[in-house]
Amino acid sequence: MAGLDELNVKEGVEEETVEAVKSLAGTYKYGWETDIEMEYAPKGLNPDIVRLISEKNEEPKWMTEWRLEAFARWEKLDEPSWALLNYPEIDFQDQYYYARPKSMEEKPKSLDEVDPKLLETYQKLGIPLKEQMILAGVEGAEDMPAEGRKVAVDAVFDSVSVGTTFQEELKKAGVIFCSISEAIREHPELVKKYLGSVVPVSDNYYATLNSAVFSDGSFVYIPPNTRCPMELSTYFRINAENTGQFERTLIIADKGSYVSYLEGCTAPQRDTAQLHAAVVEIIIEEDAEVKYSTVQNWFPGDEEGKGGIYNFVTKRADCRGDRSKVMWTQVETGSAVTWKYPSCILRGAESQGEFYSIAITNNYQQADTGTKMVHLGRDTKSRIVSKGISAGKAQNTYRGLVSMHPKAKNSRNYTQCDSLLIGDKCGAHTVPYIEVKNNSSRVEHEATTSKVDEEQMFYCRQRGMDEEEAVALIVNGFAKEVLQALPMEFAMEAQQLVAISLEGSVG
Amino acid sequence: MSTAVKMTADEINADQRPASGAWAAEARADAANRLASMGLPTRRDEYWKWTRPDSLISATPSEAEVFDNQGEPLVFHEIDRLKLVFVDGVFDADASDALEGEGLEIERLSTAAEKDIHWAKDLYGVLETAGQTPVKRPLAAYNSAQATDGVVVRVTGQVSRPVSLIYRHADKASDAILHHVIRVEEGARLTLLENGAAAARFNQVTEVDIAKGAQFHHVRAQGRDHDRQAVTHLFTRVDAEAVFKSFTMTVNGKLTRNECVIEIVGDEAVAHVAGAALGDGADSDFHHDDTVFITHDAVACESRQVFKKVLKNGAKGVFQGKILVKPDAQKTDGYQKSQSLLLDDDASFQAKPELEIYADDVICSHGSTTGAIDEEALFYLRSRGVPTPIATDLLVLAFLADAIEEIEDEDISAEITGRLDAWLSRRRG
Amino acid sequence: MLKINNLHVKLEEEDKQILKGVDLEVPAGKVHAIMGPNGSGKSTLSYVLSGRDGYEVTKGDASLDGEELLDMEPEERAAAGLFLAFQYPVEIPGVGNMTFLRTAVNAQRKARGEEEMSAADFLKFIRAKAKDLKIDADMLKRPVNVGFSGGEKKRNEILQMAMLEPKMCILDETDSGLDVDAMKLVSEGVNALRDSGRSFLVITHYQRLLDHIKPDVVHIMANGRIVKSGGPELALEVEHNGYADILAEIDA
Ligand SMILES: Nc1ncnc2c1ncn2[C@@H]1O[C@H](COP(=O)(O)OP(=O)(O)OP(=O)(O)O)[C@@H](O)[C@H]1O
Ligand SMILES: [Mg+2]
Repeated sequence: MAGLDELNVKEGVEEETVEAVKSLAGTYKYGWETDIEMEYAPKGLNPDIVRLISEKNEEPKWMTEWRLEAFARWEKLDEPSWALLNYPEIDFQDQYYYARPKSMEEKPKSLDEVDPKLLETYQKLGIPLKEQMILAGVEGAEDMPAEGRKVAVDAVFDSVSVGTTFQEELKKAGVIFCSISEAIREHPELVKKYLGSVVPVSDNYYATLNSAVFSDGSFVYIPPNTRCPMELSTYFRINAENTGQFERTLIIADKGSYVSYLEGCTAPQRDTAQLHAAVVEIIIEEDAEVKYSTVQNWFPGDEEGKGGIYNFVTKRADCRGDRSKVMWTQVETGSAVTWKYPSCILRGAESQGEFYSIAITNNYQQADTGTKMVHLGRDTKSRIVSKGISAGKAQNTYRGLVSMHPKAKNSRNYTQCDSLLIGDKCGAHTVPYIEVKNNSSRVEHEATTSKVDEEQMFYCRQRGMDEEEAVALIVNGFAKEVLQALPMEFAMEAQQLVAISLEGSVG
Repeated sequence: MSTAVKMTADEINADQRPASGAWAAEARADAANRLASMGLPTRRDEYWKWTRPDSLISATPSEAEVFDNQGEPLVFHEIDRLKLVFVDGVFDADASDALEGEGLEIERLSTAAEKDIHWAKDLYGVLETAGQTPVKRPLAAYNSAQATDGVVVRVTGQVSRPVSLIYRHADKASDAILHHVIRVEEGARLTLLENGAAAARFNQVTEVDIAKGAQFHHVRAQGRDHDRQAVTHLFTRVDAEAVFKSFTMTVNGKLTRNECVIEIVGDEAVAHVAGAALGDGADSDFHHDDTVFITHDAVACESRQVFKKVLKNGAKGVFQGKILVKPDAQKTDGYQKSQSLLLDDDASFQAKPELEIYADDVICSHGSTTGAIDEEALFYLRSRGVPTPIATDLLVLAFLADAIEEIEDEDISAEITGRLDAWLSRRRG
Repeated sequence: MLKINNLHVKLEEEDKQILKGVDLEVPAGKVHAIMGPNGSGKSTLSYVLSGRDGYEVTKGDASLDGEELLDMEPEERAAAGLFLAFQYPVEIPGVGNMTFLRTAVNAQRKARGEEEMSAADFLKFIRAKAKDLKIDADMLKRPVNVGFSGGEKKRNEILQMAMLEPKMCILDETDSGLDVDAMKLVSEGVNALRDSGRSFLVITHYQRLLDHIKPDVVHIMANGRIVKSGGPELALEVEHNGYADILAEIDA
């Protein structure tokens, strides 16, 4: 027999991963519900509801008009069907479009005034809404300062933002970080200038819907030549039943600035599906850089495929300035249905876009996700690394576009998309579109689909791991390149999520 | 002679469809209904995203100059083969060899169609129909409804020489619709060659049924007819341990769309499809589209797609390739390669290399690259004294080599290489 | 034969000067060696002489038998008789070694107004040369340098040189990667080509090669210049003491 020593566990699997994986227990950790008195807009969708949302947010008239125009357009659109997704028809009239805790009627002036029940909710989710350091308790966090690291949080609960931390400190640096509803009131000139400039109102069915009914989300503005002094994050929580969450995020990185932004999301375990349709727009000016990381952990539905979030998201970054840079990193483990293509418009010369993605689907989950890299400027570069893992009866699709326009001379793209299949009832699909219209650019695309390597499995099990541990370990190795692109705290959480998401996938 | 594309079922059904016996009449009527229910392709169809179907479905074809070959022998002329000649889509018995050969049964489609019972009944329009899901191919259904001529070939044993379909173009405005049906019986083997300018506009369907352990080798040369407007469909069903290999060389042609639809139904079968295209848009448009769909529906089968395109002066290349692995098609080994070399800034390439996989014990992959010529290699050649144009051509041929290597027969592959080389040197002047 | 005069070269893309005034003359029939620390510009010199893209000559010139080299295309330089054995021979997948050489031989003949070589003559010719270098038929059939070992690549370079019969041969570290026997073979190949009308410029790090290919003159290149020239004994000095002494002497 070939010596076991000659076998190598897939590069990138580390001792600590093994530990992390071993220490895990339980399935979806965030399935509990906060018992809190809520206030709802009437069910269904019509111009009055749109007006009502606008009113609740105390918006100026132009914003109301903008929403109504979007609604009028949405009514004329058909729901797209090209994705490899299969779900019962969504009754858009059988949803609540606005839900907020009663206690939020009077906007709290500071975090101290926020309903303790809400604070408790975030505490329980591991996102304390306190202005405190995140301690360097995470293993291998050498690059963290000893006193810890600050992360500012905007917490969105159903339709409203309940609070944003570190606002004062950020203000000193000139950074604006607040809920989008606050931004519409306080910084209308910025919102007016940029909202809808990357994802136009009529971009697609779900984005148009979002434009009409978005209730809250985050707003970020980083002034020129400013490195945002801390990481910014938004935590989205859906709590109310039968309620859709429509969040809107707008990030503007002015010339020479830098920001790293994190997004997390969870929802209670329910047996009816819930709708989530978000839009994220990022504007990046000359020499600026934005890192946007997501750990998407919406309730995925149960083992029978009941319930879960239907997640339709439009995310796009516009690299307007020369040498601007964006990096999307996503770990998609949740949602019953995911429809999401974070994209990069590489307009500025020498601008760069990167997309790192792990999408894990188990049980009856379905994901159709990928990216678009649109090269418009000269000497632009993009890189796509996508890792899809499919288990149970799940379907996982990578869908992407790489487009080199005639003027995008000397540009480069490299795409690697790999799929892993666990079990013989699931599916893994790759649908890339490649369009090259100049010859000084180079586009390379590679894709593979395979199952978990048997020799690696055997090696792990011979070393004492059970099947599930071994799979989690190998999958983590498979996804390493993407995990590495995440900020430290997220990377650990993501590794654990990988293991949890795959629970019950073998045997 | 020319048959305009009809838009509705009534038009199709009312049309003077070629006279035929019961089975053929029924197959044609079915095809007409299929077409009527799916409609003709439009520019909005995802499957026609990058290739405009307009000129393929217009009522009359645009005229095409008849290419004067100036007595130069055509491709394959040195190869001993059974010649079947079609002029503007009509079988020319005088120019053809006798319809007989060892291990072969050959008939003209129109002869077979007049009979009340014929083996081709189980294939004609049948493989085409199977190939209509999940993607609609209306121009193939149109062909089955309207085909005026073609051959039906049954291979029962060892065939001593290749069957060669030679197309000739004589009428500037001809609109040819040919439909061939081939069945290679268990353990038998056939090599099919195709070449020549068929007509001003050409719609071809070939249905090939390959029985257990049988082999079908196909080499096609599309060239010379600069004004070519062609859509071809090759539908094949590959049974256990059988081998299907198809290679197409394409040079020139305003619009060529070659679709290859392969269904692997038996275990341990092999299916390879390859293409090498050289496009220069300087004198007339060049648009070349390879659209491939391979379905794995059996265990331990191998499929390969190797497509290479070299493009310049506004030439456009398209590749749409898909591997579909059905749930029980374990141990599938599928590979897809689509590469293009853009020799100048006007050329463009668009590709969609898809994988759709429902079985877990598989190895499937694809690679696609697009870019300019390798400067390092070019310099190395020049430093050895090879002038840039020759060096470029050498690298172009090298680039195409992967695809040409898919041809098993060495004489034929040498012939193809020679033709490509000659095309390149003619352009070099 | 080869005359280089005050040659200054910078990278085209960056503001980086690599050659800073190289003066060198290799007379007909002579073997000159160039040694020098890594990164001193030896390969750059060979690339610039053979016309590779990416470099900009800012000053100076170079000629071969009185013909201005720097204005010519790479293939014209080759036809004029300049040959470079690459430090890192390029792999060309898909192009057979034979095809490659035949194309090169005939292109050069054509450029010089000579008859092309017939397929049969070529085959005879290449077989004989390959045999001398112990290159088997299989290697001739394979694509240029693809999958060749380091030593095989270098032998292949010498085979090309033997086939093309250039008058000015530049060998860039042809000895690196060769085993003892291959080194002998390659040297014999080179020595067989030595004659009164042919010159060599041998770039190497080791005295070993110069034991086999006896140089007439040895140059030391450092920091983009020829800093010292001398007889074969200079190579021995480098072998024993490295470059430190020589460089110190120059700085002084
Ligand atoms: N295209 C290039 N881009 C960047 N730097 C380059 C380039 N070409 C050469 N250089 C630099 O120029 C210097 C000279 O390189 P060169 O290859 O000529 O050295 P060398 O004397 O041949 O070295 P060695 O003995 O290691 O082969 C080095 O510092 C090298 O890194
Ligand atoms: Mg060197």
